Amino acid sequence: MSEILLKSENLARSFGGLQAVAGVSLSLPAGQVTALVGPNGAGKTTTFNLITGNLRADSGTASIRGKPIMGLKPWQVARLGVARSFQDLRLFTHMTVRENVLAATETASWFWQPGGTRARARRQERAEAAMEATGLTALADARAVDLAYAERKFLSMARILAAEADIWLLDEPASGLDLASRIRFGQLLRDAQARGVAICLIEHNLDVVVELSNRIAFLDQGKVLAEGDPETILRDPALAAIYFGDRPQEAA
Amino acid sequence: MIAYLMNLATIVAIFGILAATLNFIIGFAGIFSVAHAVFFGLGAYAGAQVALLLVPDALLACLVGAAIAGGLSLCLALPALRVRGEYFVAASLGLQMMAATLFAEVKPLTGGIGGLVGIPRPTLLGVQIGVLPVAVAALALILFLTARLQRGAFGRTLQSIRDAESAAEALGKNVAAAKTLAVAFACAGAGIAGALFALHLSFVNVESFTMDQSVLVMAMVIIGGTGTLWGPIIGAVILLSLPAGLAFLPFIPATEVGAVQQIIYGLAMTLLMIFRPAGLVGDLSKGRSTA
Repeated sequence: MSEILLKSENLARSFGGLQAVAGVSLSLPAGQVTALVGPNGAGKTTTFNLITGNLRADSGTASIRGKPIMGLKPWQVARLGVARSFQDLRLFTHMTVRENVLAATETASWFWQPGGTRARARRQERAEAAMEATGLTALADARAVDLAYAERKFLSMARILAAEADIWLLDEPASGLDLASRIRFGQLLRDAQARGVAICLIEHNLDVVVELSNRIAFLDQGKVLAEGDPETILRDPALAAIYFGDRPQEAA
Repeated sequence: MIAYLMNLATIVAIFGILAATLNFIIGFAGIFSVAHAVFFGLGAYAGAQVALLLVPDALLACLVGAAIAGGLSLCLALPALRVRGEYFVAASLGLQMMAATLFAEVKPLTGGIGGLVGIPRPTLLGVQIGVLPVAVAALALILFLTARLQRGAFGRTLQSIRDAESAAEALGKNVAAAKTLAVAFACAGAGIAGALFALHLSFVNVESFTMDQSVLVMAMVIIGGTGTLWGPIIGAVILLSLPAGLAFLPFIPATEVGAVQQIIYGLAMTLLMIFRPAGLVGDLSKGRSTA
């Protein structure tokens, strides 16, 4: 078994009377793609937000390589090697593609970045490589706001690539992509997997899940109902019933 | 006439510094502060006190003005920058109103409503000089620095925060630190403008540091073009030479110049927002609704 890069135990969070996440335990091993699957409102994005520090957990813990990360701010979690994408992308809309990607390599908040010209050249190389891998090189000088939908999605991935994180949390990264783009996206994931990146992706399209993931964690009503390889999970009729909106308790 | 133009040029250079530094935080960090005149005032009082109590050295006055304005902006920015967008506008509005009252009340430091008078003529290393060359040099330095910062990593950091704060944070950027730094830089610049203003007029009082002044500087930035290098300077030139120009028009009675000026400002702003929403120097495609 490969090293567990990110681990959460019993993460819980409620909003008013709604228990959005009710004790989620997840392990993300290096070089594996874990898909978070479940109906809308199951707590998938909230789980991401609890891990990245965008939301505070009511209880539970999370750690990166054994280092506890609860209570850290999002930028501190990011600096420990976590990169995430957002469902609504949140690109730097008025900046060019190159600036978007370069910005992902510049984490120091001071007037200048450390490391001098050599480090700057290295950051530029990282940015160029990320644009190359996502097929955006020709669009480097276009503003993010002017990109087509699929290109925006790839720009969001390019930022993550350039950030050189080894834990990726991707929120519906393949939704709305056509087949060709999906194949290219799959290649990106497999390359990252081969480099030992631990990937967790939220995905509704089960074909994509089967195609890309090694493991599935099935979430419903804030709990992980089942975890395992895609074939087993997706064949489970009880889970399928929940996923397709045919809840046993509702039927009763 | 020469003296008149020199005076106008000095004021333009001083307000150019104010507009350029305000533009830095509005255009690049998306921080809409309506309290820039507060830091202008802090620099002015600090510079005036240096000249009155120590030596009227322009460089020293500027440095002290920058340190006080920049330093105090840190204390104020830290709590205020926790709020975003329109909430920050409201917070800075509160600060502006509070500061104007304090400026009028803290007599030992500001001279109260009467202000500080008899500020000696400035010197530089013991030699008496005019404020104009110092102001132009300071403006050039500020423009150089803002241009460097804007094009570099710090500028990208600020723009990324402006466009998508949560995404910037998710990429490891310490958003609060970057914003605080940007505000401190801009306010230190406003402090320099203030110190030069005090030395130039040899008199300062709270009238120059009110809400009206903050709005005027913001108008310069918006009319010239937020996020551009030269826009704020052009905005300063236009808004400051307008009253001067109007005074020369024989058919406007001297008593009505103020009212005519307000009408022209209002009309210009409205037309600008319709035809050039990104300002005179701004990118035409920016600011327009894409729908």
